[in-house]
Amino acid sequence: MKTKHLRAIGLLVVTGLFVIAWAFPILWSVLNSLKNERDVLAYPPKFFFEPTFAAYRDVIFGPQSILPNLWSSFVISAGTTVLTMLIAIPAAYALARLRVPGSRWAGFYVLATQMLPPVGIIIPYFLILRNIGWMDTYQGIILIYLSFSLPFAIWLMVSYFEDIPFEMEEAAAVDGASRLTTLRRIILPQVQGGIAVTVVFVFLNAWNEFLFAVVLSGNTVRPVTIAMFNFVSVEQTLWTQLAAVSVLAMLPVVILGIIAQKHIVKGLTVGAVKGGGRR
Amino acid sequence: MTLAYSDAAQSGAAFSPPATGHVDVMAKRERRFAVALLAPAFVALGATTTFPLLYLIWTSTFRMDLAMPFMDGFVGFENYTQLLADPRFWQTLSVSMIYTVTTVIAQVALGLALALLVMNMKRGQGLFRFIAILPVVLSPAVVGMVWRSFMLTPEFGVIDYLSISAGLGSQNWLGDPFLALVSVIVIHTWQWTPFAFMVLLASLASLPDDIYEAARIDRAGPWQRFWRITLPLLRPAIVMVVIMRTMVALTAFAAIFTVTGGGPGTATEILNLYAYRKSFTELSMGYGSALAVALLIVTILISAVLFLIRRAK
Repeated sequence: MKTKHLRAIGLLVVTGLFVIAWAFPILWSVLNSLKNERDVLAYPPKFFFEPTFAAYRDVIFGPQSILPNLWSSFVISAGTTVLTMLIAIPAAYALARLRVPGSRWAGFYVLATQMLPPVGIIIPYFLILRNIGWMDTYQGIILIYLSFSLPFAIWLMVSYFEDIPFEMEEAAAVDGASRLTTLRRIILPQVQGGIAVTVVFVFLNAWNEFLFAVVLSGNTVRPVTIAMFNFVSVEQTLWTQLAAVSVLAMLPVVILGIIAQKHIVKGLTVGAVKGGGRR
Repeated sequence: MTLAYSDAAQSGAAFSPPATGHVDVMAKRERRFAVALLAPAFVALGATTTFPLLYLIWTSTFRMDLAMPFMDGFVGFENYTQLLADPRFWQTLSVSMIYTVTTVIAQVALGLALALLVMNMKRGQGLFRFIAILPVVLSPAVVGMVWRSFMLTPEFGVIDYLSISAGLGSQNWLGDPFLALVSVIVIHTWQWTPFAFMVLLASLASLPDDIYEAARIDRAGPWQRFWRITLPLLRPAIVMVVIMRTMVALTAFAAIFTVTGGGPGTATEILNLYAYRKSFTELSMGYGSALAVALLIVTILISAVLFLIRRAK
């Protein structure tokens, strides 16, 4: 009986430590974003303090407002998501359902495109965009985001299309519906949930992308992951503002992550080679 | 479910749907329909992945220096011979290997240990899963910034505070070559262990109970059950996690870039970061391209080995 209790306590301590280790850096950013500068720099670190929203006021309404950057991140992520889904849904349906020669190779090709190191794609892409004057533009960034969002979305959607029973399409075909009508009226309503999950993941990956953004963004289009560097310089770091910006950058993806909670393992392992553009 | 799906996908089985009894007349129409549905995706993927890849290989045979454009010209394999003689290439390649091997092993070992711990937990498993989601969905750039600023800064960073409290004194976590490498490894492990944890937990939950019952009846101890039953049954999932995490670790970028920028010196500079620095900081696009091609070759070689291990059962 006693060893059982000891083991239970040990288990609690170990798991508790891990919960703290994982949650702490995030919690700490939130706490720091609510402190004033003196409390952030306090030694030993302060857990109890008078909270203030001054940092949020600064980074939202101040001269270095992060709002344009949050907007940039949103436009890039939303644009990537819409374009990706428009292309990925038909392709995934074809790969999952249509019996045509070469579809196996087509699937393999989609999978293989995920293996390319992003740093390899960005060098030629940078040279091309510079020539056609698309540096620092939404269309330039959104287009290259397709390189990682499209294979991911296609594979995730394939897995959802495969869950639909074949009989439904056959019944529709027997009733004389064309394939396109069947796809629109019968199939798509069935994969609504899958589409929603894919949208969440594609948006999340685009929001978190960094390498492409760092090379292609400038003064016009500057996502929040790049703009946070404004608060860190060699001379000084604006600690509370940096914390506030970090929290604002985390917020959308944490909310999406919580929404997609049940589907996260499927989303992470789809394609089984690589999980999108976040590296 | 997920794991089973991925296995099928890997072997290509996902692309041979069961016979539906279509007649030949239908086949042609179906083919045209499929082409129409696939065409946009293939155009987009061709333009954003395959074409840049070919262009990359082409630029890697040029001297292309944005800082000194008058020197530009075709050089054949010169970038590659230069690369093989470049000590910094070999240095960054070895940093890449150290980074990849240590983070992957740490993620799998910790993730598996945690999954086993939480597996039979009756209460609180939900909280655990919830917490695990957070690091995985965060941007590595933001994660890197938070660690660099609020965890590792000497004197008021929390890690440094713990180190001082433990009597180890204040450390220059990101200024010391060895500690900087350890730091970026720890950060990567922190962010991605929950990934291994979630996948392995899902896989553990899908293992059949009756085998364990039988083992218990045969009086197999907990260690025996782990080594003889759990580990072999989890093998496909573990190999899959190893493959996925290796691919990502090899081309990790954002967190190292924000935390150390590859420094101090080149202590945390992985091959990926070197290719970036050469191309976009030193503006030697040609040589940077050759480095990127080298990274691609390394990635292909390593994944080929891992896939072979996966096949061998």
